[in-house]
Amino acid sequence: MTRSTDDIIIKTVSRVLVPFIQLFALYVIMHGHSSPGGGFQGGVILGASFILLVITYGLDQTKRRMSEKADAIFSSVGLLIYSGIGALCLILGGNYLNYGELSKILPVGLAEARALGILGVEIGVGIAVMAVMFSIFLDVSTGGPPPSGGSSEEDL
Amino acid sequence: MEVTLLVHAADQSFRLIEGARKQAIELLDSAVSLTAETRSIEKEKIREFFRGAQEEKAELQNFISTSLILYGFWVLLSGHFDTFHLTLGVICSLLVAHLSHDLLFANVRVGDIRLVIIRFILYIPWLICQIVSSNIHVALLALNPKMPIEPQILQFSTKLESDISWVVLANSITLTPGTITMDIKEGEFYVHALDKKVAEDLKAGEMEDRVAHVFMEADHIYVQDVLDVARIYGALRKS
Repeated sequence: MTRSTDDIIIKTVSRVLVPFIQLFALYVIMHGHSSPGGGFQGGVILGASFILLVITYGLDQTKRRMSEKADAIFSSVGLLIYSGIGALCLILGGNYLNYGELSKILPVGLAEARALGILGVEIGVGIAVMAVMFSIFLDVSTGGPPPSGGSSEEDL
Repeated sequence: MEVTLLVHAADQSFRLIEGARKQAIELLDSAVSLTAETRSIEKEKIREFFRGAQEEKAELQNFISTSLILYGFWVLLSGHFDTFHLTLGVICSLLVAHLSHDLLFANVRVGDIRLVIIRFILYIPWLICQIVSSNIHVALLALNPKMPIEPQILQFSTKLESDISWVVLANSITLTPGTITMDIKEGEFYVHALDKKVAEDLKAGEMEDRVAHVFMEADHIYVQDVLDVARIYGALRKS
């Protein structure tokens, strides 16, 4: 499963589609406050684009794009963005995730501060979900710990 | 006396011209032989040079064109035309282009992209015509009480060179009713055909020729090749 597929059609089509899938994922994240979707859904789509790359191009090729280390960092950073915005609202004197308080430090009105706060949280959730989805897939497909030197066939 | 001098001068000038002509012919001859000898070497050198430059140029060009296409896709999806959403679109498309600029345009020659896109758009109406006509053919087969079908599997090797053209041909075959591409293995197509007529249509290879035309493959002279040759001749003429 972590090897590259032989099917040229699947390979080429997924190669062409992956950028569009990723952009669609970002679209879902960014428009989460005004249309269906949001951080979780967009993050899942973004993670799915990387999973598609692993399935078609193999683990080694995909790792060049998104290493497991970067993946771990992304999952923490996403959570940090989410909880950081929440804690910032707490520090500014409101409740946890009460985005209205952000208007004290941002040069915008109350309503816009809420919209921006929601967007920031969506981005954080999206990054975290993408990274966790990808790392769960890597764990399942490689059978546990990350393989060393690409000899993962024994684990399958 | 003066006449003798004049004749002498004329003679000398003729001789000079003759010498110059001979020298020029020799130069041309050596140039021609040099061309024949060094043509392959020079070509290889220039090809390598171009390959290096192409890779660098290709990366930037791929990045820019990928982000432009993705931005168009974003505007199409978003439907919000205020500054905030358009700026988000710029950031997102640049981000995605950074992540995967080498995916969308892998294996495409630099400078050919625009022509390929135009030819591909022109290819679509022809494909739709083919789909409609073979739709009617298959419908007639299905409605015929005798059902004169002859299922068969064709195997043919293609003259197409790149993966994207293989995929376009394979999907065109599958889109056309009556034929389904089963597999591509190292340039060998395995196609299931419903009856003799569609199999023969496929064997005639018009679709393959058209796809080759779209992607400028198989016997097509590239503009870049002509420019290469012109450059070699120019360099030789100067030396």
